[in-house]
Amino acid sequence: MTPQIELAGVNKYYGAFHALKNIDLSIAKGTFVALVGPSGCGKSTLLRSLAGLETISDGSLKIAGELMNGVPPRKRDVAMVFQSYALYPHMTVEENLTYSLRMRGIAKAAAKKAAEEVAATTGLSHLLKRYPRELSGGQRQRVAMSRAIIRHPKAFLFDEPLSNLDAALRVHMRKEIRALHDRLHATSVYVTHDQIEAMTMADHVVVMRDGIIEQQGRPLDLYDKPANKFVAGFIGSPAMNFIPAIVGEDGKSLTLDLGSVRQQISIDHQLQPGRRVTAGIRPEHIGITGQGQRSFDVPVEVVESTGSSTFITAATTPELTIVETGRGTVQPGQTIGVTVDPAQVHLFDEASGIRI
Amino acid sequence: MRRILSSVRDGRGFDIVLVAFPLGFLFLMAGLPLIYNVVMSFQEVDMFSLGTFSRPWVGFKNYTDLFAQPETLPILYNTAIFVVGSIAGQFLIGFGLALFFWVNFPGASWLRGLFLVSWVMPGLVVGAIWNWILSGDFGVLNFILKESGIISGNIFWRSDPHYSLYAVIIANVWLGTSFNMILLSVGLSGIPGDLYEAAELDGATAWQRFWTITLPMMRSTIGAIIALGLIFTLQQFDLFAAITSGGPNNSSNVTQYWAWDLSFRQYDFAKGATISVIMIVFVMFASVVYVRSTRHEVRG
Amino acid sequence: MSETARNRLMLVIAIIMAAIYLFPLYWMYITALKSGSEMFATPPSFWPASPQWSTYAYVWESRSMGLYLWNSLVIAIGAVVIITVLGVGCSYVLARYRNIWVDIGLFLILMLQVLPASLLITPIFVGFSQIGMLNYPRLAVVIAIAAKSMPFFVVLVRATFMAVPMELEEAALVDGNSRVGAFFNIVLPLARNGILVSAILIFMQAFGEFVYSKSMIQAAELQPASVGLNSFMGPNTNEWNNIMAYATMYVTPILAIFVLLQRRIVSGLTSGALK
Repeated sequence: MTPQIELAGVNKYYGAFHALKNIDLSIAKGTFVALVGPSGCGKSTLLRSLAGLETISDGSLKIAGELMNGVPPRKRDVAMVFQSYALYPHMTVEENLTYSLRMRGIAKAAAKKAAEEVAATTGLSHLLKRYPRELSGGQRQRVAMSRAIIRHPKAFLFDEPLSNLDAALRVHMRKEIRALHDRLHATSVYVTHDQIEAMTMADHVVVMRDGIIEQQGRPLDLYDKPANKFVAGFIGSPAMNFIPAIVGEDGKSLTLDLGSVRQQISIDHQLQPGRRVTAGIRPEHIGITGQGQRSFDVPVEVVESTGSSTFITAATTPELTIVETGRGTVQPGQTIGVTVDPAQVHLFDEASGIRI
Repeated sequence: MRRILSSVRDGRGFDIVLVAFPLGFLFLMAGLPLIYNVVMSFQEVDMFSLGTFSRPWVGFKNYTDLFAQPETLPILYNTAIFVVGSIAGQFLIGFGLALFFWVNFPGASWLRGLFLVSWVMPGLVVGAIWNWILSGDFGVLNFILKESGIISGNIFWRSDPHYSLYAVIIANVWLGTSFNMILLSVGLSGIPGDLYEAAELDGATAWQRFWTITLPMMRSTIGAIIALGLIFTLQQFDLFAAITSGGPNNSSNVTQYWAWDLSFRQYDFAKGATISVIMIVFVMFASVVYVRSTRHEVRG
Repeated sequence: MSETARNRLMLVIAIIMAAIYLFPLYWMYITALKSGSEMFATPPSFWPASPQWSTYAYVWESRSMGLYLWNSLVIAIGAVVIITVLGVGCSYVLARYRNIWVDIGLFLILMLQVLPASLLITPIFVGFSQIGMLNYPRLAVVIAIAAKSMPFFVVLVRATFMAVPMELEEAALVDGNSRVGAFFNIVLPLARNGILVSAILIFMQAFGEFVYSKSMIQAAELQPASVGLNSFMGPNTNEWNNIMAYATMYVTPILAIFVLLQRRIVSGLTSGALK
């Protein structure tokens, strides 16, 4: 089946700056794709290139099978929800919604009816005659989305739409956006720097850095099998612990170097003895046990409790972050015993960071 | 006493002192003359009674005399043409230039500022230059117009009653276009860029974007600029003094020049005052529009 | 068309448009250098065949430009001093608060800005002659100009003060300054640039002022250059090269200041005039 969006060998240069490097991305119809990464990684550039607001220097971009290189935005039939919503301040909500229809020459009565229908599905019916400045942040968000929905576009593009909302509203709107996507059987591309949004909302996550796609796949696949150190550290909160380690003489064990503490654990792979690697362990995969018992002891420096979880920082080199559900009994200054399940240890090449 | 002094150093008193003197000065120098003008328009004033304040009260006689004069209506009409022509020229050309420079290619902002020389030069010098450019037999404007085939014979801009007003209008448009352009540029850059991107994605062509986004969002800016234009155009005096002196035969005379002429050439101060009062009513109207178009923010 | 090509094209068009717009200035400069007969040549020459630099010296002497320019300078500086001293404090207060009094104050000031000099001159002349002010004609003109241009100054400088964050002044007050101290030590230095730009604009306006000067200064030796130029140009005047030489010498100082400070002036105007 033809993918709804297809990028092949896409490059983009801003003068000498290489913003997008050989991007290959294929998005099937009906998928919710999250583009996630740190600032400057190129995710917004990629999104805007899909919209046609930026031109690509190289490669091919197809939407619904048609080549879109050089096609201006207004002919691409994609809709975008901007970070600032970009609602037309001098128009009422209804006029904002019907704008795209009016530009295409659709009759006023039909446009009005379409606006009323969409407003009903997004809960804006009572706000049609208001102006954007009279609305709350969440309401403006919905208007921005309704404006996109009314066009029945080939794809929805979201440019960090929730970053201007407060935390509680963000959680609520996450669900609304995903529910809307499902209801409309839409194809959505969602840019965010927040990996939690990406993990909870997307069918397919694309992690970007410095203009390249580091890894893409299902959210939990990225969590379970990160392809390199960057993805491993980016996905999952709190971030994965990275510990320098040396492979033991038998090639089947690893000595973790935590400064004052050294611990040997067994590993599943067979590796070259004496090889230096980086071991990655997620904070939630470090268990707190009594002292002894195949565990090693670490001194506790900081204990932070949110009520539902406890974050423990151990004063090792490098620092170890441990997450425990519920209220722990650990106190700062204590020494606790921790265990690591070898199956949960990720191994990365020390120099390149690539998964072993 | 100490309370007052400490208030001046540290509290409300400081603010009041800072504002009171300037406002007092302004009221004295602008407010009083205004009132004085109104009073004089109801009096009979001549060279000898210039020194005294109480002069014979003649009620509306000055006004009725004024409107009985044959040149009054044509001069009012000229003023209207002058205002409309100047504002239209300055605004349209200024808007075109502002849109052009808004694209913001390298070098745009520096070049744009260069246009402002027309606005900072003394009006009399601008008038003198245009006087020479508009000269009938030897002026370079006529030469250019003839060479490009727009006219066949020389237009005597300054001495032909049909054209004399337009001579001043041309000079005034040159004077004020750059100021309009700068203010319109500010208005244009106040429109967020992502509105245009959203409109483009919604299917609007460049022309549609101009009509549905740019113009409506510039409405208050345009209102302010046109009101300012009205105010400045009605203040324009130097150009008339330099180019046509209101002639020939009042064909390029406008109310603000006429008022001065009546007072200082014909020594009819009462009539001068009378015209002033009429004009001030118009100017006040324009300034109300201007004030309402500019909404202020609190200090940030 | 690529972006750089389009930018270059627009730059070229912009330069052409600027050249067209500034043509009158160019015309002024070259007319001053033309000889008497070359001025009246048909078709007019666009470059002087043999530049007559002596015209400048001749006009300077015969029209006592030194004296006139000095008067213009005196009047302009006097006006700027009065306006700055009175206007800075006023705009500071009007920028600091936003209540009904400030609204009224602003409204009044804006109203006063609109009155044309040619209308106000009548009562000002009459009033001044009554109190004997006309015995000090240049001072009279200075005061009249100060009143005319102060509203514009206040509007521009108020915008400058509004850009100085209130927190800085509040920090100064908490640190032990009185209001007076906070104003002079903290706020004023930060607003210095905006005030300077506005003062320069006012100076340029005052340097070229005509109506008040012509109406109130009868003695030729006290007249500024604008009136001098006007008396030069009678109804049948045809010594245009001399007139343009006069204009050149009159205007070039202002143009020089403007070109040097152009960026500052434009940004000062754009932040102030519309707010």
